[in-house]
Amino acid sequence: MEINPLVIVAILLIVAYTFFYTPVGQLRNLLIVFVLFMIGATLVLAVSEMPLFGSVETPAYNEVARHYLDGTVPETGALNAVAAIITDYRAFDTLGEATVLFTAVAAALASMGAQREKGA
Amino acid sequence: MEDLVARSVCRLIVPFIQLYGAYLVFYGHLSPGGGFAGGAVVAASIVLYALSFGRETAEKRIAPGISHLLESGGGLWYLLVGLVGIMLGGSFLTNKAAGFYLGIPGHLFSSGMIFLLALGLGLKVASTMVTLFYNLSTEVNDEHGNGT
Repeated sequence: MEINPLVIVAILLIVAYTFFYTPVGQLRNLLIVFVLFMIGATLVLAVSEMPLFGSVETPAYNEVARHYLDGTVPETGALNAVAAIITDYRAFDTLGEATVLFTAVAAALASMGAQREKGA
Repeated sequence: MEDLVARSVCRLIVPFIQLYGAYLVFYGHLSPGGGFAGGAVVAASIVLYALSFGRETAEKRIAPGISHLLESGGGLWYLLVGLVGIMLGGSFLTNKAAGFYLGIPGHLFSSGMIFLLALGLGLKVASTMVTLFYNLSTEVNDEHGNGT
């Protein structure tokens, strides 16, 4: 089980390049099956490394959660712990979420808006 | 679309949906809710209005230009509040360490930066959904040639 994920990713990249430059035919189908199998194997390996369900060593059970619940009212002044985490402790993360929304609208306007001007 | 039932129900229900959305945004730090949920509810009310009264009527209420402006303005407001933290001597997007007014926990105007950021997020989410709805509905109308 001690396989470096980087090795797997490198193998997948080599296979993907081979697949990209292969003409349509039986070899290509074979490569598709092989790539899918490799991706599936990587996912299974990743799952096997995860902590067991309900295990005490799960990273979600460290002291951070207790700190958030205890520190929400004195440190942020909010009563809602979720709001305190989203817009105070993890505010930079939420800025990234707002950027995702902005990117979605920019992409929609760039593609749809250009077509609308051309059509009407 | 000329549906009397849809229009009557929409005219009755839209103010309440918008009030609920504003409540979710403004009381996000005291009760379940927040900028994302409240903004989505406000946007849903505008989409409902546009569906039952037609997009032209809705665009008279909330023009696409204003929607674009709020969309960028919400993001810039978020960045601005974060930069105020740097100006006041903390790091980017700090709340208590930067000296935001925390107030008394449980009051409406409390929790400093959280309240301000929820306002920006609510505006941004609502205008994002409305902008996407306007654009996607335009495409459908152009393709079939029956503008609602």
